Amino acid sequence: MIFTKRIMRFYHSSKQLFGAEKSSLAVLRKKTGYTIANCKKALQLNDNDLGQAEKWLKDQAQIMGWKKATKLEGRLTSQGLIGVAIKDSCAAMIELSCETDFVAKNKEFKSMVEIAANSCVDFASSQYKSNAPIIKICFSGEQLKELPTQDGKKLSDLLALMIGTVGENATFKRALCFKAGHGVYLAGYAHPSGDEPNHVQLGKFGSILAFRQFAPKEVDLNTVGKELCQHIVGMNPKKLGTIDEIPSEKSDYEDSLLHQEYLLDESITVKDYLEESGVEVIDFRRFQCGESMMESGDQPLELIETCQ
Amino acid sequence: MIFLKGITKLANLSKSQQVPKLLCSCKLLSNSEQNYYNIKGSLYYNRYLRNYSTDKKVHINIGTIGHVDHGKTTLTAAMTKVLQKDGLSEFVAYDQIDKAPEEKARGITINASHIGYSTIKRHYAHTDCPGHADFIKNMISGASQMDGAILVVAADDGEMPQTREHLLLAKQVGIKKIVVFINKADIVDQESLELVELEIRELLDTFGFDSEAPVIYGSALSALNGQDGEYSENSIRKLLNTIDNYIPDPQRDLNSPFWIPIDNAFSVTGRGTVVVGTIIRGVIKKNDECELLGFDSRRKTTVGDIQVFKKSIPQAAAGDHVGVLLRGVKLNSVDRGMQLVAKGSIKYTNRFKANIYFLTREEGGRSKPILSRYSQQLFSNTWNVPCRLDLEKGIEMLLPGEHGPVNLTLQWKMPMINSQPFTIRENNITVATGIITESLEPVLVTSTLGKLQL
Repeated sequence: MIFTKRIMRFYHSSKQLFGAEKSSLAVLRKKTGYTIANCKKALQLNDNDLGQAEKWLKDQAQIMGWKKATKLEGRLTSQGLIGVAIKDSCAAMIELSCETDFVAKNKEFKSMVEIAANSCVDFASSQYKSNAPIIKICFSGEQLKELPTQDGKKLSDLLALMIGTVGENATFKRALCFKAGHGVYLAGYAHPSGDEPNHVQLGKFGSILAFRQFAPKEVDLNTVGKELCQHIVGMNPKKLGTIDEIPSEKSDYEDSLLHQEYLLDESITVKDYLEESGVEVIDFRRFQCGESMMESGDQPLELIETCQ
Repeated sequence: MIFLKGITKLANLSKSQQVPKLLCSCKLLSNSEQNYYNIKGSLYYNRYLRNYSTDKKVHINIGTIGHVDHGKTTLTAAMTKVLQKDGLSEFVAYDQIDKAPEEKARGITINASHIGYSTIKRHYAHTDCPGHADFIKNMISGASQMDGAILVVAADDGEMPQTREHLLLAKQVGIKKIVVFINKADIVDQESLELVELEIRELLDTFGFDSEAPVIYGSALSALNGQDGEYSENSIRKLLNTIDNYIPDPQRDLNSPFWIPIDNAFSVTGRGTVVVGTIIRGVIKKNDECELLGFDSRRKTTVGDIQVFKKSIPQAAAGDHVGVLLRGVKLNSVDRGMQLVAKGSIKYTNRFKANIYFLTREEGGRSKPILSRYSQQLFSNTWNVPCRLDLEKGIEMLLPGEHGPVNLTLQWKMPMINSQPFTIRENNITVATGIITESLEPVLVTSTLGKLQL
């Protein structure tokens, strides 16, 4: 079907404006999506052979992507996406940033976040073994670049390709993985919800949560986890808090998760909701896009994820 | 009219304290009248009343959209440079535009540059926003309804993957006319130019824009540097000429059925009830059949007399401030906030679709997210009613600083039309501002709004 469509386009455009040579440029451009200047060069170097030119373009793309990435490096990236992936006993949350929010809506960009999130999960589940209830693994932007993807390439290679295609700088900002031990459940949430290609949730905000059940109740643990994660995204608690501590006088300024008003029912606190559902929170983490406004690669100390 | 303008000015005086940055950027505008309307930030005043400006030139709001490196800002600078030669504008340098000062329209922070310039024919207020969210905020807060846009595409790159997002955005913010400027035309050959043009036309067509839209080849940089050649200054002149002619003058809407929000009402002994207000759209004639709508009530009546400045006239048109004598209506059945409309011309309902923006904590808004069933007071025109807000399916919550589509349910039926702005206030602080996008079928509110099953 796609093939016929392309053929149609070929005839369509040749009738309207172009001679034979021009339409091969149009076809190559439509097919590959690379910039016009590059498509033209590819055709010139390969005597107008479409197949050859396409191959040449693909080969060059990696190198050119790197060049473009180098050229754009250092430009401020304050927009972007958070990706949250959960597989078996591992949860990962990553931030990939770009220059404008137009790119953050781009398909290529989204799939990059998705691949990176999955790579994190895979890496964490294969590398770390321990009996602790929960292990936290943090990656800096630089470490993320070195991670292998499922087909063996490095994330930095894919990122360079993507930068070449969308023509905007993009940077890996940070990532965090939770690896759960026995009896520990993981949940994740991204806001605004909706986009969920290959089980990676994408949004401007993200949260992951580790919790365990202490008393069996008739609740769906998946829903409980998701709702708690939604609460974390919405109410932005800074710390877990303890049951004994005295809650803030003004509920608006409460930053301990346990003592905040529960998002989905303002009449109770999160503590009450946890008791009702028979679960306890072990740990959580919230990412917000562009929390860290800075040049690529240069991370101030307080924003580096630590594993305490 | 004069009265209304006075109000506008008064409102601005008190607001000017909060918007020093905007005032600075407005200095660039050549016509001070335009400033008032921009700061006032009301869609209505922009749309319907700006033709009343004392200056004879028509005002047009325009903007540039396009990929990051394709030369939006360079083009804007080049346009002011060319116009400066003709003594019609002040040159605004690239870095002045690029700084994109944060401005506050209705208390919402928007990253935008507003540049003013004029051609022989018109005044332009030119908006350049860096991001998608900024454009949307600009639209929702009603800061400026754009009459047209210049899509900038670099000839060596062609359509980039996110050019689609740009056109989608143009659709969302209600832009009808697009002029394409193919930049960097001096560094590629004719063949590539034609290909770029072909691609763009196809894309315009996909998004329902005029695929026969004018396309201009040029080079903003060489025009800015004052080089010779067909792609330098000439191309910019051609572009200015094209926007002058292709983007139509905003029309005061005289063809739609009339609509008058009621400011005041009084009774004249022996004659009946007179309602006072400014005609937003349409033409009202003596003996027209009309309806008095608002707060669930619907009263059919006819126009007994129309007066402007105590003189009886047979008809009045949009923009006129009039008194209308209504037959068979008692004064106690008229409330401020009601609307007088042509019979059967408005869908009278209490449910609407709207596009809304929630102010961040820093802008004075909420700190907590908004879920469905959020109920507060809605303010629009001269009235306010209790309102419940429900998020669209698939959206679980909106955080302060985000915008999105919502459904509104009012306690009573109120006449509202598309692109009518409103705000939502909670404990006397403004937490959200939005515009109506669609009228839905009414529902009967028998319980409290919060408990209503929808």
